[in-house]
Amino acid sequence: MRGALVSAGTALVLAGMLAIPLYLMAGLLPWSGLPADAWSRLAVIFAGTLRAGACAVLVAVPLGVATAMFTAHFCASRLRAWIKPSLEMLEAVPTVVFGLIATTTIAPWLATHVATVLALLVVVPALLLTGGMALGQRVQSYGWLPFWLLPLIVAVVATGAALGAQHDAIAIVPESPWNAVLVGLALGFASMPLVFSVAEDALFLVPRTHTQAAFALGATRWQALVSVLLPAAGSGLMAAALLGLSRCLGETMIVLMASGNTPIAGFDPLAGLRSISADLALGMPEAAAASEPYRSLLLAALLLLVLTLALNCLAEAVRERLRRRMHAVAGA
Amino acid sequence: MGRREGDGKIWLLAGATATGLGVLLCLIGWLAIAGLGAFWPLSVTEMQLRNGSALLGEIVFEDSGVIALRTSEIDRIGVAYRRVPRIDIVSQSQPADAITVVLDDGRRLFGRESTTSAARVFALASRPALEREVQHVNALDRLARMRLFFGNVGRFLATPPTASNLDGGVLPALIDTVVLVLLMSMIVMPLGIATAIHLHEQRSRSTRFVRSAITTLAGIPSIVYGVLGLGLFVHGVGGSIDQWFYADRLPVPTFATGGLLWASLTLALLTVPVVVVSVEEGLARIPAGLRDGSLALGATREETLWRLLLPAARPALLTGLVLAIARAAGAVAPMMLVGVVKLAPTLPIDGDFPFLHPSRQFMHLGFGIYDAALASSDAIRGVPRAYACAALLVAVVVALNLSAILLRHRLRERYRALEY
Repeated sequence: MRGALVSAGTALVLAGMLAIPLYLMAGLLPWSGLPADAWSRLAVIFAGTLRAGACAVLVAVPLGVATAMFTAHFCASRLRAWIKPSLEMLEAVPTVVFGLIATTTIAPWLATHVATVLALLVVVPALLLTGGMALGQRVQSYGWLPFWLLPLIVAVVATGAALGAQHDAIAIVPESPWNAVLVGLALGFASMPLVFSVAEDALFLVPRTHTQAAFALGATRWQALVSVLLPAAGSGLMAAALLGLSRCLGETMIVLMASGNTPIAGFDPLAGLRSISADLALGMPEAAAASEPYRSLLLAALLLLVLTLALNCLAEAVRERLRRRMHAVAGA
Repeated sequence: MGRREGDGKIWLLAGATATGLGVLLCLIGWLAIAGLGAFWPLSVTEMQLRNGSALLGEIVFEDSGVIALRTSEIDRIGVAYRRVPRIDIVSQSQPADAITVVLDDGRRLFGRESTTSAARVFALASRPALEREVQHVNALDRLARMRLFFGNVGRFLATPPTASNLDGGVLPALIDTVVLVLLMSMIVMPLGIATAIHLHEQRSRSTRFVRSAITTLAGIPSIVYGVLGLGLFVHGVGGSIDQWFYADRLPVPTFATGGLLWASLTLALLTVPVVVVSVEEGLARIPAGLRDGSLALGATREETLWRLLLPAARPALLTGLVLAIARAAGAVAPMMLVGVVKLAPTLPIDGDFPFLHPSRQFMHLGFGIYDAALASSDAIRGVPRAYACAALLVAVVVALNLSAILLRHRLRERYRALEY
C-alpha cells in the first residue's frame, strides 16, 4: 500500500519534470511557421543571451575554479570549513538582490569607471603575482593567505576607484549604463559559487594518495597541483565550467534588471542587450495564449531549454565518468 | 630555503578566494547599510539660495555638484524634489525648531515652529489627509532617533503599503510569500520524500532514469518553469476548471489567470530536486548496522523504512524543507509569469469561507524588490525601499540556509553516535 504511494509520488514527480519539454513542444505543434521578423528577433535575443553568458562566464569560471584549486589543495582546513559555507551562502542570495545592486549601485558607478575596472583587472593579478614572487618565500604556509590578501585587495580596489574618479580623461564611455559588462560582473559573481562547488567536489574526489605520492617524489605543492591533481580532476573542472555557463545563460532576474532589455545585435560588451530569459519574463504575461507572439516566445523557451539541457547533460556525463574513474582508482 | 616554484600563482589563487569572500562581505555589508539606512530619520535642512529664496526639506541625494532636497509634498507624494546646484547655495543649517509632519498617505511636510505651528504646516496640504505624526527630528538626540528608527522598521514589517507602494510596510507581501511557500512545501514534501524513498529502496533501470531526469532537470532555468506554469497550469488546467465549474463567470477568468495555487505548483516543481537530493542523502548516510539490525530482528523492509529509517532521517527531511523554502523564496522570475502583482487588493487568507483562496493573485517580497527598484513612480523612495525588502529577504534566506547547515551537522553527529 505504502509502496504504491511511493511509486505514485515518484511517477507524479517524473511526470512534472517531463511535462516541461513535452509541453513546450506540444505548444508549438500546430506549426504554421513564424514570420521572418520573428526569426530575426529571436536571433538577436539569442545573440544577446550568448553575449551576457560569455561575459559572466569570463568572471565566474576563472574565479570559481581558482578558488576551488586553492580551497582543495592549499587551504588550512579551518579556513576551508569557513569558505565552503560562506560561498554556499553567496549562492543562496536571491538573484533579484544581485540585480538590484547591479542596477542601482554599480551601474551609475560603472558608467564612468569602465577604464578603472579594466585597469584593476590587470593590476590586481599582476600585483598578486609579483607580490607572491617577492614575498612568497617568507611566508611559511599558504593556509591563511586569503585572509591576509582580502584587506590588500580591498585597499587596491578602493585606491583604484579613487584614482579613477580623478582622471576622467581616459574614461571609456559605454553606450548605455546597462550593458553586458555590468551583467557579466553581477551574473559572474552570482554563479561563481556554483562553479566553485562543482570544481571543488571534483578536486576533492581525487584520492589523497595521489598527491601524497607526488610529495614523496619531491614535488612541491604547486607541482603536485599542476602535474597530478589537475590532470586527474580536469574533466570535473570542465563540468564546472559547463554548468556555470548553463546557469549564466538561463538566469533571469539579473539580466532583466541590469541589461537594459533593448534587443541590440553585435559583440560590443559595452552595449545593452535583451536575453531570452528576460524576454520571456517581460513578454509572456502580456501575450495572449496561442497567439503568434506567444508561440514565438514558446520557441525561445524551447531554445533556452535545449541549450541548458545539452550543457547539463554534457556536464553530468563528464562528472559521471570522472566519478567512476576515481572509484576505480581508489578501489585498485 | 630557496624560492619555491609557483609562489606567485598560488598568491593568484588565494587572491581569487579572497575576492569571492570579499564580494560576499561587501554584499551583506552594503545590504545592511542601504537596507537599514532607508529607515534612519533624516534631518530637516534649511537652505538659503543665492536668489534670496529659502528651501526647507530633507536631503535625499548629494554629490560634488548638486544636492537633491525633498521639500513639502503639498499636492502628491514624490513630486516635490528640488535639485539645487551647490554654487547656488548661500548657507545651510539644521534649525532645531524644524518639524516634519507625516501624513497618513505618506506625504511629508516641513515647517519651523518659530514661524508656523504644526497645525498650519498640516493645513498646507492641498488634498485632505489625516495627520500621522509630527516629528522634531533636528532636536532629537541619537537615542531618540534610534527609537524613531526602530519605529520605522516596525512599521515597515507590520503595516500594509500605502501611496501605491511608496510608503507604509510590506506586511501583505510578507504574508503572501509565507502562504505561497507553505502551500509549496505541502505539495513538494510528500512528492520529494516519495521520490527519494523510491530512489533509495529500489535498484532498477527505472531508478537510474528517474535519477538522471532529476539531476539534469534541476539545472533548467527557473524562467522555463514559469513558462510551463503559465502555459500548462494557468491556460491549460485553469482554463478547463473554469469551463467546467465557473462557466457562469466567463469570460472573467477564475482559475485561468495567475494565482496562488499555480504559483505554488510551479515552485513545487522547481524545488523537487532539492528535497529529493537532501532526503536521499540523509537516508544513504544512515549506518548500515541500524538497518541490518532491524531486518535481523524480523522486521520487513517496509517496517524498517517507516519505523526506523525515516524517523532517523528526520533532520534530513527538515534540511530538504528548509533548502526548498530558501530556494523558493528567492525564485522571482517564474512568479512573474504565474500571477504575482504589484499590489493585491486582498490577502489569499481571510475570514471568508473557505479561508484560503488559491485562485487569488498575490504579492511577493522578491518581486517587490524588482518593482520598487525599477517600476516605482518615485525612485528616491523606491530604491531605498527595494534595499529594505532585499535586506529582509536576504536575512530570511541566510537564516534558513544557516539552519540547514546546522541541521546537517546535527544529523552527522547523530549518525556518528549510532556507529560503534
